[in-house]
Amino acid sequence: MALKDLSFTRGILPAAALLGLVGAMIFVSRGLPDHDSDLPEEPERGVTVDRGPFRVAGTGVVEPSSESIAVGAALAGLVAEVFVTPGDHVSRGQPLFTVDTRALRSRLKESQAAEQEALTAIAEARANVEDARAGERIARRQLELYQAVDEAAAVSRAEVIRAEGDVSAAEGKRDLAEARLAATQSRYEAEQVRAESARVELDRATARAPISGEILAVNIRPGEFLSNQGAGGAKPFVEMGATHPLHVRIDVDEAQAPLVALGSPATVSPRGAEGAKVTAVFVRAEPVMVPKRSLTNSANERVDVRVLQLIYRLPPASGLFRVGQQVDAYMPATQRRRVKNK
Amino acid sequence: MIWIALRMLTGDRQKFYGLVFGVAFSTLLITQQLTIFANLLERGASGVYNVPDADVWVMDPATRTIEVAYPLPSTALDRVRSVPGILWAVPHLRATASVRTGAGNLEAVAIVGVDDSTLVGLPPRVAPGKVAALTSPGSVIIDDVGAGRMFGVGNPVIGQRFELNDQRAVIRGVTDSFPNFTNQVTLYTRYSEALSYVPGTRNRLTFILVKGDGAMTDQELAHRIAKISGLRARSSEQFADDAIEYILENTGIPMNFGITVGLGFIIGVAIVGLTFSLFIRDSIKQFGALKAMGVSNKAIRRMVTAQASMIGLIGYSLGLVGTALFVWGFSNSATFKGFYIPWQVPLISFSAVALILAATSRIALNRLMTTEPAAVFR
Amino acid sequence: MTPVTRQSAAISARGVTRAFRSGSQVVDVLHGVDLDIRAGELTYLIGESGSGKTTLVSILCGILWPTAGDVRVFGTDIYTLSDRELTDFRLRNIGFIFQQYNLLSSIDAASNAAVPLIAQGMRVVEARDQALAMLEKLNIADQAEKLPSQLSGGQQQRVAIARALVHAPKLIVCDEPTAALDATSGRRVMNLLREVAIQRDRACIIVTHDNRVFDLADRIVELEDGRIIDQGRQLSETD
Repeated sequence: MALKDLSFTRGILPAAALLGLVGAMIFVSRGLPDHDSDLPEEPERGVTVDRGPFRVAGTGVVEPSSESIAVGAALAGLVAEVFVTPGDHVSRGQPLFTVDTRALRSRLKESQAAEQEALTAIAEARANVEDARAGERIARRQLELYQAVDEAAAVSRAEVIRAEGDVSAAEGKRDLAEARLAATQSRYEAEQVRAESARVELDRATARAPISGEILAVNIRPGEFLSNQGAGGAKPFVEMGATHPLHVRIDVDEAQAPLVALGSPATVSPRGAEGAKVTAVFVRAEPVMVPKRSLTNSANERVDVRVLQLIYRLPPASGLFRVGQQVDAYMPATQRRRVKNK
Repeated sequence: MIWIALRMLTGDRQKFYGLVFGVAFSTLLITQQLTIFANLLERGASGVYNVPDADVWVMDPATRTIEVAYPLPSTALDRVRSVPGILWAVPHLRATASVRTGAGNLEAVAIVGVDDSTLVGLPPRVAPGKVAALTSPGSVIIDDVGAGRMFGVGNPVIGQRFELNDQRAVIRGVTDSFPNFTNQVTLYTRYSEALSYVPGTRNRLTFILVKGDGAMTDQELAHRIAKISGLRARSSEQFADDAIEYILENTGIPMNFGITVGLGFIIGVAIVGLTFSLFIRDSIKQFGALKAMGVSNKAIRRMVTAQASMIGLIGYSLGLVGTALFVWGFSNSATFKGFYIPWQVPLISFSAVALILAATSRIALNRLMTTEPAAVFR
Repeated sequence: MTPVTRQSAAISARGVTRAFRSGSQVVDVLHGVDLDIRAGELTYLIGESGSGKTTLVSILCGILWPTAGDVRVFGTDIYTLSDRELTDFRLRNIGFIFQQYNLLSSIDAASNAAVPLIAQGMRVVEARDQALAMLEKLNIADQAEKLPSQLSGGQQQRVAIARALVHAPKLIVCDEPTAALDATSGRRVMNLLREVAIQRDRACIIVTHDNRVFDLADRIVELEDGRIIDQGRQLSETD
């Protein structure tokens, strides 16, 4: 019959066309992209927080509870020695570093030598005074002797007068010697004061911990010159603070600042470990709203927004937080905002 | 009679192939052009499709598309995060910069800064480097099409360094992502790195990506975010549509493709219409004989319909197969990467083919219907 | 021999008039033709060109509506039927042999011969089987699978005859079967027709003006200017 020899146009071509159609349809349906698919490998998810209906979000930076103390230097000079390394715990008054004190020490020695010299001069002056006093006594006794002889012939009038002159000369000598002694003594005292002041300076060359706490940063090394004049933007020489407990300073956008329920604890999680959430206790709100502070140390990153800074106390050490770390924080909001939904 | 009709049709090989070719060609033209058109449009929204994780995009009210964006102050992130119903919200930076390639050419690149800790914002498929490589400083991930453009297709890319706004950048990975409309090189890096790569303006946070907690639809969530934060919030689909609309409104592309598709249609009508009416005219005597012999108009109509259907089916199939082969064949080329045939396109071209054949067979039938059977005796 | 009456006639036309509009004029091609044709006979319809024989035969076989008059084919008044019914009547009851055969060029001889059966709704395989039997009768079964273009004119004509006969119609209409043939071939065809077409319950009309074959007719009806001038001349002595 007619189809026994397969015709190309009526047999193969339509069959091939239908086969192609089915193939093309499969191709089309397979090729459709799925724009909604989630990642095959989910990265660690972002901040998930309690889904209470009212909350305010903020970003913050961890800081010591004492806030960060930039320990300064009283004296300018070369750094002679640094006694601490970052992470050290120091107690109040413990030396942190010293500047070069050689000049001060030689000044002290000078003063001490001058002091000794003054002491010798004092002894000398004292001897002179004794001498003068002895001379005076002899002269007075001579004069008394002459005055006690009634016979005029035995002592001439002239001799008496001479003896009187001797006495007054001896008196003058003694006064002079005494004045000398006084001068020498005051010189000695002056040298003593100078030595003392050199000692105080020597002590000032050593910076000491103002409070007990942890050394956070040491930015000086022996041999560096350290200026205490007008070092406004420079890094602090040594930075320290009380890190038990830590505080966190949270910036809240001015638009949302009025919504924060002040006094309630906040939920805080560090960047990169969003799963680890801790509850931080309210400490205070800064009375001054400040421009949004750059969080990435880029001078360009300021924005024309003011923020309310809230201080919260983090729970005791878990090793999760470090000073300067950025955190995400969620504070409960007052119930003033009504969310209209649906 | 359909059996006879089909044999009548295929009996004249030349006209049959002409008809099939006409249909196939206009199917190919319409389908292929519509496919390219649809895919080009979708490329405008590729930035959105490359981040399937985000439910909602939040942006400055002035922002129109992913490429026409106005940055936000960084505190906007906190404002968005404060909206209830959000699972997470992360910053997303989009900016352009210039790099010098190894060959010394200047290349404009798009910088995408993804969230530092979660890397949300990276395209889903990153190969062959690891996503984790982004955590090392100065590292970027390049899109595969861009890699080909910058370093030549097939050349090793991982470990290549270049200068980006005075900073060193090292390529640590290659994404498998949808290229964007202009085929621009895209570099993905962490948000904090991106800040240093992009020349400074005050505000640089371009988008905030939000995932809802699933309690409401993306659109409702977007609406709520917009209401509470005062920013513009669009669900992923809306934002993708925005991008497509932007291209439609601001380029001549729809016009060009519209013309080509129209030409395809006209060519189809011309070739198929002419050939088919030629075919009918040539066989009008045979049809007249059939009519005289007592074949009803209804049967003749069925015959012609069968002929048109066969032409349509074969031609359409071949055209569609051609388009599929085209898309498949070019799927590895950078220009056509990620191209696919939207399911609506074969339907549209099918309707076009049906319309062409319906019109031409209608005209042919008119002639047959009015043919007097008595004419066979003259 | 009994005279032809309306009742005994296989086909009977009364007062058949047909007018054609030619420009603004109406031209009558047939003027009230009355005609009776018997079954079992080979009837010739002869006449000059323009005498109206083609119009008459068209009306007799139901493909041209008369302006006036009625036609009965084996008792059915065919022009009272609806268009659709008339078409179906033609399909089942009338076999056509066209002057140019009008075979379908893209199907083989057997299929061509099977067309009336296929059009009646028979399955192609069965129809072809019946058509093959008919082709065998006509001695061209060996050509059954050739396309019309591969056949000679005579072979094509036999296929056309097979097609006209395959569905056992009651009336066979044959238009100028010998026009393109030489005398010998013409006689052969006519004899063939007599052989295979004539049955007792079947009428057979042949339109021709080929006087070389007049002697093979049972009856000749002559038409002139739309009128029958000679009806029922019986030429054959066979019955």
